Amino acid sequence: MEKKTKEEFDVVIVGSGIAGSVLAKTLTNAGKNVLLLEAGLQAGMAFDPEAAYKNYQYYIDTFYKASAKVPNSPYPNIKDAQSIDVLDIEPITQTNSPSTKGYLVQAGPLPFGSDCLRGPGGTTLHWLGSTPRMLPNDFQMQTLYGQGVDWPITYDELMPYYEMAENEIGVSGNVEDQVGPDMSIENYGEGYVFPMKEIPQSYLDQVCIEKTQNLKVKLYGKEYTITCISTPQGRNSIPNPAYKFAGTYWNKKAQKLELAKNNEEYEPVGAIWDQNTGHRCEGNASCVPICPVQAKYNALKTLRKSDPKRLKIITQAVASKIYTDEITNAITGIEYKKYKYENSTVYDTAIARGKIYVLAASAIENAKILLTSGIANSSDQVGRNLMDHLVMLTWGLLPEKAYPYRGPGSTTNIPTFRDGEFRKEHAAWISPIDNWGWSWPVFSPGSDVSSAVSSGMFGKKLRSHLNDVLPRQLLLHFECEQTPDPNNRVTIDPQYKDQLDNYRPVIHYNASEYMKKSFEAAKKVSDQIFAANGVEDYTAYSVANDPDYVTYKGQGYNFWGAGHIVGTHRMGSSKEDSVVDKNQRTWDHENLYLVGCGNMPTLGTSNPTLTMTALSFKAAEAILKQLEN
Amino acid sequence: MNNHVVSSNTFLTISTYLTGYSEVELLGTGMLETYFNVFLEKFSPETLHYFFAEVDEILLESAGDEDQINAAIAARLIPDSAYDGIAKNIILVWYTGNWGSDVISTQSYQQGLMWDTAEAHPPGAKQPGYGSWANLPIRIPTK
Repeated sequence: MEKKTKEEFDVVIVGSGIAGSVLAKTLTNAGKNVLLLEAGLQAGMAFDPEAAYKNYQYYIDTFYKASAKVPNSPYPNIKDAQSIDVLDIEPITQTNSPSTKGYLVQAGPLPFGSDCLRGPGGTTLHWLGSTPRMLPNDFQMQTLYGQGVDWPITYDELMPYYEMAENEIGVSGNVEDQVGPDMSIENYGEGYVFPMKEIPQSYLDQVCIEKTQNLKVKLYGKEYTITCISTPQGRNSIPNPAYKFAGTYWNKKAQKLELAKNNEEYEPVGAIWDQNTGHRCEGNASCVPICPVQAKYNALKTLRKSDPKRLKIITQAVASKIYTDEITNAITGIEYKKYKYENSTVYDTAIARGKIYVLAASAIENAKILLTSGIANSSDQVGRNLMDHLVMLTWGLLPEKAYPYRGPGSTTNIPTFRDGEFRKEHAAWISPIDNWGWSWPVFSPGSDVSSAVSSGMFGKKLRSHLNDVLPRQLLLHFECEQTPDPNNRVTIDPQYKDQLDNYRPVIHYNASEYMKKSFEAAKKVSDQIFAANGVEDYTAYSVANDPDYVTYKGQGYNFWGAGHIVGTHRMGSSKEDSVVDKNQRTWDHENLYLVGCGNMPTLGTSNPTLTMTALSFKAAEAILKQLEN
Repeated sequence: MNNHVVSSNTFLTISTYLTGYSEVELLGTGMLETYFNVFLEKFSPETLHYFFAEVDEILLESAGDEDQINAAIAARLIPDSAYDGIAKNIILVWYTGNWGSDVISTQSYQQGLMWDTAEAHPPGAKQPGYGSWANLPIRIPTK
C-alpha cells in the first residue's frame, strides 16, 4: 500500500553519509525543515549517549570476531539494503559472467574492486581518513593533458569550501609540508592552518624517509626527485592555536556560507556518545574498519550537530523511485520502502515530499535510483564514468626493523607523481607509505604465522623468525588516477533485484591502457625506492592473489580498489555532456540535487572525501539560495 | 584408557615449547582454559589421550633438556600425520586466536601472540596512545 506522508519539508535528503549529513546540518541550522531518509538500521542512528555507545561497542565486537577484517566487517549487512562487500569479489570468467556472488552484479571484464557502506554515517565509518586536497591542475585534465574532461569550476573557486570541509571533518596537518608538483603553500590561503597539528609521522615513515627523501629516480628517460610529506587527515590531534574558525553558517544577508571566526582554541570533536572521548588519535591502528574511540571523523558527528527541531530522520527507509511532474519536469516526491526489521521482507511504501530533493546515497546508489526512475539523464551520462583509484601495491622486507602495525594506516605520502607532463601518457598517482605491514595484499601477520607453522617451525625458532620478519615488513601504495570512460558504468537489469524488489547495480568495468602503463611506471619507481632502501622485494602478482589482474607488455600486475567510488553522475558545464551543474543541481530538474563523489568529473590523486565534502557545502549554499529566492 | 593425562597443566607446558612463550606469558593472556577447552571439543578423546600420553613421555624422557625436547617435538608431534595435527593447531591458536579462520572469541582476537611477536598490538585494542607510533615500541623486559 502506498502512503503519502502528510508533512512537506523544505528539503528531502536520501542518505546520512558525509554528504547527506553536511546538508542536513547546514540546512537545518539555517532554519530549513529537512527530512532525511536512511536505508540502514535504526540502531546505528542512535543519538542518546547510552544507545550510541552500546551500538558502537556491538560494531567493535563484531569486528573482533570477524574472520576477515575487511572494511565492512564491523557493520550489519542487511538484505533490505545490502552493502557492496570486497569479500564477494571474484574473477569474471566465461563460465562465471556476470559474477552475482555479492550485492553487485559484476559484468566485467574486470571486477570492480571497492566497497562502501549503506547505513547511518555511511562509508565514513570505515574510511581511512586521509584528506589531501586536489591539485589545481586536476581540474583541467583535458586542457592540460588531453585526458578526461575539465571541471566546470577551478581550484580557486573551491578553496573556501575546502576550508569549510577541513573545519567540518577536523583535519590535522601541516600546511607548510604540503609541497610537491603543482602543490605549495600557495594552494592554501595566506596564513591558513589546519584545525589541528599534523599527526606524527610513524617510526616506519622516518626509517623510509631517511633514504627516500630527495632520492633521484628515472622514469622513461626523465629524472624525478622523490619527496615524502606528512598527510593531512581527519583524525584528532593537538589543536593548532593559530586556527581561528568555528563552524560554517549561512550568512542570510550575504546569501552565502561562511566560516565563523572563533577567538577560542579549536576543540576536537569527540565520540558521538561522549564529547570527551577521542580527543586524540590513540593509535588503535584499526582506522579501517573502525576507530574504537572515534578520534577519526565520521559523519554522525556532523549529523548530530543538526538542529533537532528541524530534522526528521526516517531509518530503514530505502529510496526506490523518484516521481516527476510531466509538465514542469519538477520532482514531486521520492518513494521509499520502509522495512519492519533487519532482513525483513515486509515493508511499507511511502512517498516523501519536499520543495527540493537531494540524493546523497553514494555514487552507485544515486546512479541506480536515477536509472530506475528514468530521470536526470538527457545527457545519457547517468551511471557512466565510474572511477576508482586503482591501487598497485608493492611489498618487501626492510633491512632493519621499522615496526609496522602501529599508528594510523598511513601518515606520510610521496606526492612526486601526482602531476606532470607524464599525465598525457599514463595515470598520475599518490604513494602513501603504509603503516600496517603486509596485511592488505597477503593478510599478514596471520599468513606469516600459518606459513611458518606449516613449514614445521615451532617454539623459540618460530617466535624469533616472526619477530625478525614482521617488524621489517614494508608496503607501498601507488593509487593511480582512473580516467573517465563512458563504458565503465552502472546499469540496471530487471533480472537482478534485491528482496525489496529494488534493482541491484550491474557494473561494467575495465582498466585502460593508460592505467596499465601507470602500473608499469609505478613498479619502475617502486623498484628504485626499494633498491635505495635495501628492501628485499616480495611483491607477487597473480589472479589467485587478487581477481583484478592485468597484463601490460607481457608483465602481470594486480590492482586493488581504493574505496574511492567516483564519477557516476558527473558535473559539467553543459547539459549535453553532464548530469549536474557546478552547484550539483541536475540540469534536467530544477529541484533535484545530487551530492557525493558521483559528481566528480575526474578523480585526481587525492582521496576524494575532502573534495566531495567541499562540494557538498557548495550544494548546500545553492539550495539555501534557491529556497530563499 | 586412562584419561587423567589430558590436563590443562600439560597443555600449558607443551604450549611453551610449541610457541616459544613462557608459562607466565601464556598465562598472562588469560586464554589457557578457553583454548584447552577448544581442543577438548575439536578432537576425539582417543586422539587427545594419545597426544597427551606422548607429550608426557617426551617431557619425562627429556628431563628438561630443551634440545632433546625440541628434537622429540619435531619428530613426534609436528608431522601432520601425528595426532590429527594437534601440535600445529596449538601453535596457531595461541598465535592467532583463531580456530581455522574462525575467531574463537573477542578476547582470543585481542590476545593473539602474533601481535606481541610483531612488537605491535592487535588492531582496535590495547592501543598504545597518541603519538606512540612515532617512536620505537616500548618493550618490557621479560627476563
